[in-house]
Amino acid sequence: MRTETFYNNVLKESYTVTELSNGLKVYICEKPEFNSVYAVYGTKYGSIDSCFTVNGKEISVPDGIAHFLEHKLFESEDGDAFSKYSATGAYANAFTSFDRTCYIFSCTERFYENLDILLSFVQNPYFTAETVKKEQGIIGQEIRMYDDSPNWCVLFGMLEAMYHNNPVKIDIAGTVDSIAEIDDKVLYTCYNTFYNPSNMFICIAGNVNTAEVLDKINAGVKQTPPIDLKRADFSEPKDVVKGYTEKQLEVSLPLFCYGYKQDVSGGDPTFREMIAMNAFIKLLADDASPLYKRLTDSGLINDEFDAEYFTGRSFAAVIFEGESNNPQAVADEIAAEIEGIKQNGIDKRLFESVKRDMYGQAVKRYNSVDNIALMLVDSAVFGYNYSDELDIIKNLTEADILSLLDVFDKDKSVLSVINKKVQ
Amino acid sequence: MSYKSFKISNGADGIFVENTRFNTTVISLNFYLPLTAETVAENALLPYVLTSCSADYRDYSELNLKLNMLYGADIAVNVEKSRDVQHIKIAISVINDEFSLGGESVISEAMDLILSLVFNPVIENGALSAADTEREKRKLLEHIAGEINDKRAFAKNRLMAVMFDNSPYGISKYGTYEAAERITPAALYEAWLRMLTTAYVRVQVIGKALPDGLFESVAARLKNHERKDITDYTFCSPVEARADVKKVTEHYDVAQGKLVMGFSSEVHGEDAFALTVMADIFGGGPYSHLFENVREKMSLCYYCSASAVRSKGLMLVQSGVEADNARKAEKEILNQLELIRQGKFSDFAFNASVKAITGSLKSYNDSLYALDKWYSSVIMSDELKTPERAAEQIRSITRRDIINVANGIKLNTVYKLMPKGEGKQ
Repeated sequence: MRTETFYNNVLKESYTVTELSNGLKVYICEKPEFNSVYAVYGTKYGSIDSCFTVNGKEISVPDGIAHFLEHKLFESEDGDAFSKYSATGAYANAFTSFDRTCYIFSCTERFYENLDILLSFVQNPYFTAETVKKEQGIIGQEIRMYDDSPNWCVLFGMLEAMYHNNPVKIDIAGTVDSIAEIDDKVLYTCYNTFYNPSNMFICIAGNVNTAEVLDKINAGVKQTPPIDLKRADFSEPKDVVKGYTEKQLEVSLPLFCYGYKQDVSGGDPTFREMIAMNAFIKLLADDASPLYKRLTDSGLINDEFDAEYFTGRSFAAVIFEGESNNPQAVADEIAAEIEGIKQNGIDKRLFESVKRDMYGQAVKRYNSVDNIALMLVDSAVFGYNYSDELDIIKNLTEADILSLLDVFDKDKSVLSVINKKVQ
Repeated sequence: MSYKSFKISNGADGIFVENTRFNTTVISLNFYLPLTAETVAENALLPYVLTSCSADYRDYSELNLKLNMLYGADIAVNVEKSRDVQHIKIAISVINDEFSLGGESVISEAMDLILSLVFNPVIENGALSAADTEREKRKLLEHIAGEINDKRAFAKNRLMAVMFDNSPYGISKYGTYEAAERITPAALYEAWLRMLTTAYVRVQVIGKALPDGLFESVAARLKNHERKDITDYTFCSPVEARADVKKVTEHYDVAQGKLVMGFSSEVHGEDAFALTVMADIFGGGPYSHLFENVREKMSLCYYCSASAVRSKGLMLVQSGVEADNARKAEKEILNQLELIRQGKFSDFAFNASVKAITGSLKSYNDSLYALDKWYSSVIMSDELKTPERAAEQIRSITRRDIINVANGIKLNTVYKLMPKGEGKQ
């Protein structure tokens, strides 16, 4: 067992990372002044992991299975985990994204009992044909709910038009048809592949004692040997499938998602590159930016407008989203703004303010044990070292920003639009 | 958790909740005004115009640049219906001075900024700035029209409109599209004056230290206005029981139907915690009757939940179901309520509910926003109710209290949002 401590000297905060003998990594941030503890048990397994090779055998599984497995894992032979948490008063939840699945609890008392529940149900799957069938009904309704969500549909419209092969273009929950193919056997296959300790992590923030928690986790985890897992190479081309896509739904104003696809065939962005790209996005679309003012004053965007760096294992894109009566005009203005930066460089005053803003956001993150724990999850998935964050932000240069300009290639952009349904 | 309260002036109180665990301090200015059909849209638009610029920051890009320079200070506006009043919150949160890079006091700058926004708007010929009003009005109108995008929230709003058809409580918190469309810069100026003269005002600080002179500065600015006819922010009329259940079904272009049911309760008021617990056992956490039966056993939906508005004596049930299953779900929801009335709920669910709610109250002290929201929702008295005190009251609730509350619950209105061409009943 090896423990490394990461200090943030400005904020006087620290967290530890410990690798256990079975390969599980444990991240802990002590916040003794808080009442609550937020704990996450996660695996680097999400909706994109539908093709893989394990111990030399190539396997392909139905879309939506990671999310389905998340729902099912709460059930054990001796009752479901939700009931056990109900007895302790903890709040429990879980989520599946493109590249990870996380099981969460937060509590203000009986932490060790809750930790036992978490360790127990995540390590003891129990799937039967009958319980799988029941879940198909519930998840079917969850999928139908998202079918009515224009925000969800506009994002997936963009991803479908952006990616040729990467399964990031497929809905995390799959489809009613794909989940119908799931049975208990394939659930066990996925579980035994991706819920191996060497692929997993535990992140805890709050009123805990690190040494005690580590002892408890060490005693509670199984010594499953590592497996030989190879994830599929998606061989994703650099270009997009098509530059424009649209769909109709019951909406008031058209919704849009305008994204630039980034080539990450050479590896996912580093922590520094991620921070620099976030600064670039703020320079472009922050509410203090000239682009934001032009778009707002010409009536093209409202408070729904937002921009984000959409990244995960094997994919990255810069996305601008919002509502507009003329999405194409918004996309054109964004492209023109980027062209302006290519010609004239960046506004130094705005750049300084963006760095200040990002510094403040990093300070604020430590206000909440939830946010700290989720920060640790990012650290576990991407290997980010958050103790460097404030220094990276302070030392960010114009050159760091300009080095990212290549990402903004209009030929590799996609505009996805949801229009109002014509009766 | 300790708090201190201060009398600022006639109808204006200050509260300081000291909490050293955060790196940030929040200052919120809360205004409470009567909820009337004529004024709700104006009052809702006003804080958005006020926080987009001021006489000191004429241009919103400059204002946002200033906020960035204050290390990402965040201005948040919130408009809510609370009891039978309209609650407008304008808040700023900023990192504590010890983290500023040059040792400057960011908290005092943040304080000056929010006071400038609220008390020193751009005034042109007896009206708020026309350009700013028009811009924010367009955004508000688009927001109101966009409520249809979130079908779950939309269906709930429609239930409220149908259920409270003759009272202002049924109006969406931002008002109607038509009323918002009629707003003029002059009307908004009147709304601003009305807010400063007649609103009950509560200024709150949650954080490490009370900024120097905050309450005094608010008092001095309120002195410029003749404070009179101060809003009774405690006013609240409970939901009345209806003899016949009101049923409305509307059809939209959607894949999944939504079922929303509104109930009246015989108990209401700030201390009606038994209603909160009862609604939670009925349809709150995963231990609840609706989760266990309508979702897990019958597999009818992804969500089916109940919630209560204590002050109004209101309980709501919300569910997303296939059109063909809506009637089945409705029947089962009422069946589960009947079981609670008969006392057929487990000690396990009862205890789980009390633990979940009291645990959540305990965690309020770990969130600046939860604390700010809590303190701006409680009624001022000699002893302000803390989350800890509320948790104590909840722990004293008995099974008998739950049964009594459940027996006073009556179905009032059923609203269904259904796909076109399907599920017509």
